[in-house]
Amino acid sequence: MLLKPKIIWIDAVGCNGCSHSFFNKPEISSFFENFELLYHPLLYTEDLKIQECDVLIVEGALKANFSRLGYDLNSLITELFLKAEKIIALGTCAVYGGIFGNGLMFEKEQKGKFYKCRDKIINIPGCPIHPEWLSYVLDMIRLDRYIPLDEFNRPLEIFTYTSHMGCTRNEYFEWKIDAENFGTKEGCLFYYQGCQGPFTHSSCNKILWNEVNSKPRAGTPCFGCTEASFPKKNLFKTETFMGIPANIPLGVSKRAYLTLSGIAKSLINDRLNKKLIECKNENNKKNN
Amino acid sequence: MKITKKIINKIEGEATLKIHKKNHFIEFVEIEFWQYRGIEKYLQNRHFMDALVINPRVCGICGHSHLLATAKAIENAFGIKPTEKARILRDITTGLEIIQNHIKWFYVTLFPTQIKDQSYILKALNLSSYVSKIIALIAGQFPHNSYIIPGGVTCDLTNLDILKVETMLKKLKDEIFNIMDQEGNSEDLEKFFENLPKNIGKSLNRFLVLGDNLYFSKNGSVKKIKEKKTTSLYSNVLYEDKFYEVGPLARNINNPLIKKVYDSYSDSIYTRIFARIYEMNLIMNFLLKEIKNLDVCEPSYIKPTVKNSQGLSVVEAPRGSLVHKVEIENEKIKSYEIIVPTQFNLSNGTKENPSAAQAALIGEKEEYLDSIFKCFDVCAVCVSH
Repeated sequence: MLLKPKIIWIDAVGCNGCSHSFFNKPEISSFFENFELLYHPLLYTEDLKIQECDVLIVEGALKANFSRLGYDLNSLITELFLKAEKIIALGTCAVYGGIFGNGLMFEKEQKGKFYKCRDKIINIPGCPIHPEWLSYVLDMIRLDRYIPLDEFNRPLEIFTYTSHMGCTRNEYFEWKIDAENFGTKEGCLFYYQGCQGPFTHSSCNKILWNEVNSKPRAGTPCFGCTEASFPKKNLFKTETFMGIPANIPLGVSKRAYLTLSGIAKSLINDRLNKKLIECKNENNKKNN
Repeated sequence: MKITKKIINKIEGEATLKIHKKNHFIEFVEIEFWQYRGIEKYLQNRHFMDALVINPRVCGICGHSHLLATAKAIENAFGIKPTEKARILRDITTGLEIIQNHIKWFYVTLFPTQIKDQSYILKALNLSSYVSKIIALIAGQFPHNSYIIPGGVTCDLTNLDILKVETMLKKLKDEIFNIMDQEGNSEDLEKFFENLPKNIGKSLNRFLVLGDNLYFSKNGSVKKIKEKKTTSLYSNVLYEDKFYEVGPLARNINNPLIKKVYDSYSDSIYTRIFARIYEMNLIMNFLLKEIKNLDVCEPSYIKPTVKNSQGLSVVEAPRGSLVHKVEIENEKIKSYEIIVPTQFNLSNGTKENPSAAQAALIGEKEEYLDSIFKCFDVCAVCVSH
């Protein structure tokens, strides 16, 4: 076990959204009790010094000719990288590049600047990251426990799931009933609204956002923000090939998926083919 | 006279100041922002709906206001309006974002310029995460949801959800009123000013409000603003060729209590901070009234008819008036333009014609620079869009 691991948290090119998402962590005081923050872009710390640390957290993407605290950003990160025991690439920008630049280990799906040093890197993609994801990784490092990773250096305990798992619209997916429109409780968003849940590695519907909800539960499609391809074009439209979603659930052959869909569609689920609640305005007004 | 360069961080992003000083007094400050991310270009040729996902990423703290501005700009291009239900939900989540931002700004950004005590930071983060949770109940998550779309909102709440939101809003109101009560008394604000004069940081006395969401009302027209390139990587923003102050003080200056403080201290650092904190109370009261008018039976979303057109929107974001402008052709974005509140307040003017933040710093002791500069709640991340 490491006693109060030292953290340097540096903001590369991004929006600070991962920091702000982390600030939503319940019981955040435990973070301050268990770790020593040598530098953070928003929280009060000493000025940044190039020095050794146990964990370097890079939030945001690499970008040439970008100035940070008077340094050239990419050189600053290289210097800090070499002096750090472990590096957490925090958020899709730092992992794959995202909207703003290049990731540490990857440039989209290709090998990135620090690919050769991948043994030191743990990738936590997400736009933004979920506070529990980072807490888990930091605590495992502090407790000196083994973190199982996948081939993209993502922690399996977070990214072996798809964001589809646990979605409250799963019944509609089972019976292939699409959402006709936005703004309804009913229907699955995978067929027309662009939901990438069935093929996105993340646990958004297992470890809920802000402890209470997720985008698909609120009627918004999953945009695949934990993936290298984020943000794809046409985020609110399902890409189709001959009327069938071009991207199908992970781990299934196209033929298997089509067979299952055909059967499910032919067997009508009466309960799910109508509104869950018929709303009557007068009644509701009276309640008010 | 001596000129020193200072990089200000521990704000959203960073700003470079060139401080002209004489005997520890500030004669003038040049403001520079040296980051640029190119979001406007990134949007070109994408489907207009993609802007609802990309634009919140302009900023990790006030991205929800960018989402509202995006949806409204597209709605204005199509000539449509959302249902009353969608409008109220948008007011609740964007109003809560303002509160969330103010809490973090006061305790995490501003407080350490005078008092370095971690308990205030913990207090802020515990409370702001509670605010995020209320937003998430409606919007799916916070930060970075995209539940506001042209034509309405994506969620379809039940009365059960709404009652839960209302209960949480009431609890939040109590917490906010503990920071500052209805009469404007605030222990924490007085503590912040223990070793800081209240009458420093006086500025231009010119206020501008261009948005009319929540309870705010406009005092000018967005058509009269102009952008002018600076020597660093951002543009100045002028209204009828003059610099103005935008933000909580500007949009609440007619509130009787804030007016009273203003009459005693003019547009000083104290008035500016007071207005920002008291705005949380005003928004809370407004939201608790609005939620009573929510009718779950109204549609959440009405599908808009898409057309080739241009749309302009202004919303009052946490730091002031935020402007979005979109041009749509064949469902794609032909051009996109964003002007953020920090550009108004932190324009780089001249000694003779300074912007609001520059005017507030001129003539003050150098030791007060950090507090005065940060009382404007600088969002350099937004500036570097």
